[in-house]
Amino acid sequence: MTDAEKIDKAKALLGGRLIESANPALRRVFLTVAPADLRASLEALKTGLDQWFLATITGVDAGDVYEVLYHFGDTAGSITVRTSIPKAAPHLPSICAVIPGAILYERELQDMFGIVVDDIPDPRNLLMPDGWPEGNFPLRKDWTYERPKEIIPGGKA
Amino acid sequence: MAAVKTLLYLVVYPGLLFLFVYSTFCEWFDRKVYARLQNRMGPTHTGRGGILQPIADFFKLMAKEDIVPDRADKKLFKALPVVGLAVVLTAALLLPLWHYQPGASTFNSFQGDLIILLYLLSLPTLILFLAGWASTNAFSIIGGTRVLTMLFGYEVPLFLAVLSPAMLAGSWRLVEIAAFYQHRPYLLLVNLLGFAVALVCVQAKLERTPFDIPHAETEIVGGTFTEYSGKKLALFRLMTDVEMVVSAGLLSAVFLGGFGGGLILGFIQFVLKTLFVIFLLSLMRALTSRLRVDQVVAMAWKYLAPLAVLQLLIVILVKGLVL
Amino acid sequence: MKFQIPIGPQHPALKEPISLRMTVEGEVIKDADLRLGYNHRGVEKLAESKSWIQNIYLTERICGICSHSHATCFVQGAEKLLEIEAPRRGVYLRYLVSELERVHSHLLWLGVAGHEAGFDSFFMYTWRDREVVMDILEMISGNRVHYAINTLGGVRRDLDEAQKAKILDGLKILKARSEYYLKIGAGEPTFVGRLAGVGMLSRQQAMDLCTVGPVARASGIARDVRKDDPHAFYDEVEFDVATADTCDVLGRAVVRIKELFESYKIIEFVIRNLPDGPIAVKAPRRAKPGEVVSRYEAPRGENIHYIKSNGSDKPERLKVRAPTLANYAATIEMLRHGFIADIPLIFAAIDPCICCAERTAELVDARTGEERIVRFADLRRLAASRQAHSNKRNVAWPL
Repeated sequence: MTDAEKIDKAKALLGGRLIESANPALRRVFLTVAPADLRASLEALKTGLDQWFLATITGVDAGDVYEVLYHFGDTAGSITVRTSIPKAAPHLPSICAVIPGAILYERELQDMFGIVVDDIPDPRNLLMPDGWPEGNFPLRKDWTYERPKEIIPGGKA
Repeated sequence: MAAVKTLLYLVVYPGLLFLFVYSTFCEWFDRKVYARLQNRMGPTHTGRGGILQPIADFFKLMAKEDIVPDRADKKLFKALPVVGLAVVLTAALLLPLWHYQPGASTFNSFQGDLIILLYLLSLPTLILFLAGWASTNAFSIIGGTRVLTMLFGYEVPLFLAVLSPAMLAGSWRLVEIAAFYQHRPYLLLVNLLGFAVALVCVQAKLERTPFDIPHAETEIVGGTFTEYSGKKLALFRLMTDVEMVVSAGLLSAVFLGGFGGGLILGFIQFVLKTLFVIFLLSLMRALTSRLRVDQVVAMAWKYLAPLAVLQLLIVILVKGLVL
Repeated sequence: MKFQIPIGPQHPALKEPISLRMTVEGEVIKDADLRLGYNHRGVEKLAESKSWIQNIYLTERICGICSHSHATCFVQGAEKLLEIEAPRRGVYLRYLVSELERVHSHLLWLGVAGHEAGFDSFFMYTWRDREVVMDILEMISGNRVHYAINTLGGVRRDLDEAQKAKILDGLKILKARSEYYLKIGAGEPTFVGRLAGVGMLSRQQAMDLCTVGPVARASGIARDVRKDDPHAFYDEVEFDVATADTCDVLGRAVVRIKELFESYKIIEFVIRNLPDGPIAVKAPRRAKPGEVVSRYEAPRGENIHYIKSNGSDKPERLKVRAPTLANYAATIEMLRHGFIADIPLIFAAIDPCICCAERTAELVDARTGEERIVRFADLRRLAASRQAHSNKRNVAWPL
């Protein structure tokens, strides 16, 4: 299946939900949908275009919004579904009901960006330690790391 | 004078000192054979060809810090290694190592010593189970239960296999069995099947690959020995080594013929035969992968037990028709 | 009686810290849980403050076994953003190292699987033969673990005729040995008894949980980035995607051994068809603004990097998804309702990444304090002469 065919098929499947489509390189298709339509769109792509393999979810801190990219792979290249959510209210629907394998990536997204994934089956921290302070989300652009003061046990102050 | 002689028997030969030296030598032999089969060098540094390595390991462990877990049953935890070692050393006294004249019974050779020896060899297994249980560590408890589960598998085939040559010889005394086969070496061929079954069972009793399930490192860390360290671990390791020598001695006495030729020749025969048995055990260790505990029990009852019964049948037929 | 046993963060079966919490009832696992983060190093955040060229070396250090796969995946994407194309010879050499890395990684895995199953002889044999491919890699790149052969716009070291011949010689040994391992891996009764039927993952489950690499292929999903999204020369070379439909650990082992043979084919193709010409082009310092999704078939499965550039000399965002992460969700599923004895095997069957140590080549003379580089052959000779004198006391170390 060529990229153009893929885009046509996606247009037919998603209809009005598809905001934008692009084909920047060979075998790379980018589709943009609204966060509210995300679950329905992915379901349509899964059944209609055989996109069951979610490679990963990328979060990007893009100024006023968080861009969330769902990378899919199939036997003829890859499709990326893009959605943006405002920084003020970073809520995203969980897609685990459609693609169960997304759970670890959604947990990672919560850890790293502080995006709240609604209805996530397992909301615990994935990478950050249990005692990680509230409101620290490392991959946000305004977060910087300060090395804690080194204390040598039993050493001089 | 008799008291001094008995004391010498107990402490020097074939008691504590000899068994310590010989069992560490057997461990070295086993490790070397295993290593060479795996394309490795094995121990090389301590002594010529690393022959003193097990002794060095033993003393190194003796010098290590000895930790008793807070929640363990402390008295049991501390007593078990000593009791275990004592049991296998006692078992070793019953081996027909230097007393090869069938005649008047002594404290270490009497009618029925074969049975006593087999039961003394069963005790270390129970001690390992108790050791795991007394440690109150999750890994130790799993290891302990695995020890017992395996025991149910291999114990019956082992008894059947070891007792059938005794039936053929018509005696429950190791020295008499050995003497019987010394006079009729061709009858040893009758027991080959039993020898194979007993070898597998002894491998399981010694908890070596493919039966190293109770202390499978990659599954349950140290298994029964997880909480043991220092002196207690050293004693347990020595116990395993002596157990290996005793088991090999038992198999060689029962399946590999008599002990003729006086003290010196008899001793050389003993060494060669036990090393041969240990070589076979090492070979099995190098050639197989670890089984699962359910597979061991299934294998023991599907194959080992029927084969042992078949051996018994052969012995009965031979005894009734040929002899 | 139900209780929880902790596998990790420190456990003999694990080569890197991760915590598997098993709820067991006797020998049977009732529930499994996974806790990550013991080894989180913040590479994605760090990458945003490093230049394009620095990031090659950073990504190379994500993994100690498949170091080349992360670096290549990054370079592949970065070259698109920098609008350069590596010359043919450079591309061939880059993916030659890729395939050699796959060989060494799979041989390593076979050994680890043997060790986890308590089959240490198998472990010793595979790791001995792995040295052949490690030596080849060291000859090509100068390093055993972090090859550092990638650069923006090509590779850093060339290959001459003598080296080509050596690689082909090494391949002959490896092929013969791999046949033997296929025979043992699929024939030795105790080993097969431990692997067959363990860690079942049906085709549907593998699809739902988005598994990658040999785990997916052993469940009958013929996905391979080299076939589906052919980069470099992979659309020219003939190779098959190895699959199995047993859905268990045995299938994963067989898939990996079969992949070895496919890799040997590709390596031979590269050596025989290596084009002439330069090995690298000069790369600009800044990239054009844009984004790229870079996919690469690492030994453990699909490796995907998302790189976003804002026009500066540093990436705006680098997202790395290592193949192991994609398989964790499936691992939990596989562990459920298994036996305790199968934990290390099932976990090892996804081939979790492990770090390797490097070999030191500098010796310090104890008497003079003089440092010098000693070749491996000399070291061996020294060791042999030491061995010959080992019975004499206070023998002088013949350095």
